[in-house]
Amino acid sequence: MNSSAIRTLLLLPLLMPFTVLAENPVTKEPGEQVVQPQVDRRTVTVPKISARDIELGAFVGVLNIESFGSSPVYGGRLAYHVTEDIFLEGTYAKSTVSDAAFRSLGIGIFTTSTPTVNTVDLTYYNLSVGVNLFPGELFIGRGRAMTSALYMVGGIGNTSFDRIDNITYNIGIGVRIVPRDWLSLRIEMRDHLFSSDLLANENKMTNNIELTFGLSGFF
Amino acid sequence: MSMAVAEARYTHRRESNYVALAMLMVLSVLSFCTWAEEVPTRVQVADPYLELHTGPGRGYPVFYVADRGEWVKLLKRHTDWFKVRTDKDKEGWVSRDQMESTLNEAGVKTTFRDTLFDDYLLRRVEVGFGAGQLDSDALLTAHVGYGISPNFSVELTLAQAVGNYSSTALYYGSLLAQPFPEWRVAPFFSLGLGRFHNTPKATLVGGAEVDANMANTGLGVRAYVTRRFILRADYRRHVAFISENRINEFNELSLGISLFF
Repeated sequence: MNSSAIRTLLLLPLLMPFTVLAENPVTKEPGEQVVQPQVDRRTVTVPKISARDIELGAFVGVLNIESFGSSPVYGGRLAYHVTEDIFLEGTYAKSTVSDAAFRSLGIGIFTTSTPTVNTVDLTYYNLSVGVNLFPGELFIGRGRAMTSALYMVGGIGNTSFDRIDNITYNIGIGVRIVPRDWLSLRIEMRDHLFSSDLLANENKMTNNIELTFGLSGFF
Repeated sequence: MSMAVAEARYTHRRESNYVALAMLMVLSVLSFCTWAEEVPTRVQVADPYLELHTGPGRGYPVFYVADRGEWVKLLKRHTDWFKVRTDKDKEGWVSRDQMESTLNEAGVKTTFRDTLFDDYLLRRVEVGFGAGQLDSDALLTAHVGYGISPNFSVELTLAQAVGNYSSTALYYGSLLAQPFPEWRVAPFFSLGLGRFHNTPKATLVGGAEVDANMANTGLGVRAYVTRRFILRADYRRHVAFISENRINEFNELSLGISLFF
């Protein structure tokens, strides 16, 4: 026998399994692997970290209603920080408004006020979009620094007093200071714009300026 | 102050309080959904360095650089920024981009899953706000929806429209059908039932409050934008059954933003 014949003979047993498989293709379970790899599967774990994107807080300040003077205002707000630049926020606040100045001239403006009680309740709510414009830091003394940001907000809502609803647009600018990761302070100036026909026969756009100081926590 | 006026004033205030309350409720739903389990995770710096910023934003300065091989502990997250503490007890904020080039304890690249279109398709809860017009009056809307199947969802809506002479509140529940749920921009149809409440302006003489049942049909478009955001446009025809022989019809056109979970 020559060497190539020997080689063929030796290779025959190696081919045997294939012939068996070819004869009985049904015995093999579909999807079953011929060779089981001895590989440890690595588990990819996605780290779970608490996301602090919600800001819940309260504020107090002064609200000026055009032609009717200024009153204290207080309210609550809930914000959702979408990205480092953008946040959405909802605000609900209460204040009062008085027509005392008009009453002293003998002209009552509000239908729900009386000569003795001339202060009526005011409530407003709005939903706004905010943009963090200029990030920065505030330095207190030598060794303390707090992160801060200058932001702008704008939105739409409703201002209601004396049984009149007024669709209100708001635009404002504020500074947010973050002394702790969970705490933020803000000073904000906002203009609430709504058109009113209280003092005239036709609608007139009024600018109602508000200055507030707020405290909130991140959740 | 007469009793009638006091009563009207009370109901009126209550109404606008409801809208605000709904808004707050919707936002607090968000807060629950963003909660995640707090598990301190350690990762190892694999890039030549890891930059620690003073605050969660690209504008805040880098005050410390962790070297390759150093381990840092993840403390919390704010938007796409992670607060970390290094072995040397330095605490700072690292961007998500940089965090993704670190290795976890198994030596595998750290991944932070994003909200994707697939999540949009599997959404259960949708909350949203809109603004538009009800006939010629300005309109504000807030809604909460729940998906009962890929093709159907139920929704609760509060809407307030303010006009020159009166303000209207609508509260209704609706059934929404979306024939093509897998489309990125998909139409939907709605059918709703609820209450209609109209309060005349106080300056108006002789106005009477109206409280009635209402129904509506509508069609709209949802468009998946990015992350958790959906843009929505709605057209609705509302019918208020004022009395036995009088119905009022209104057309609503509104545009809004929704978030899903």
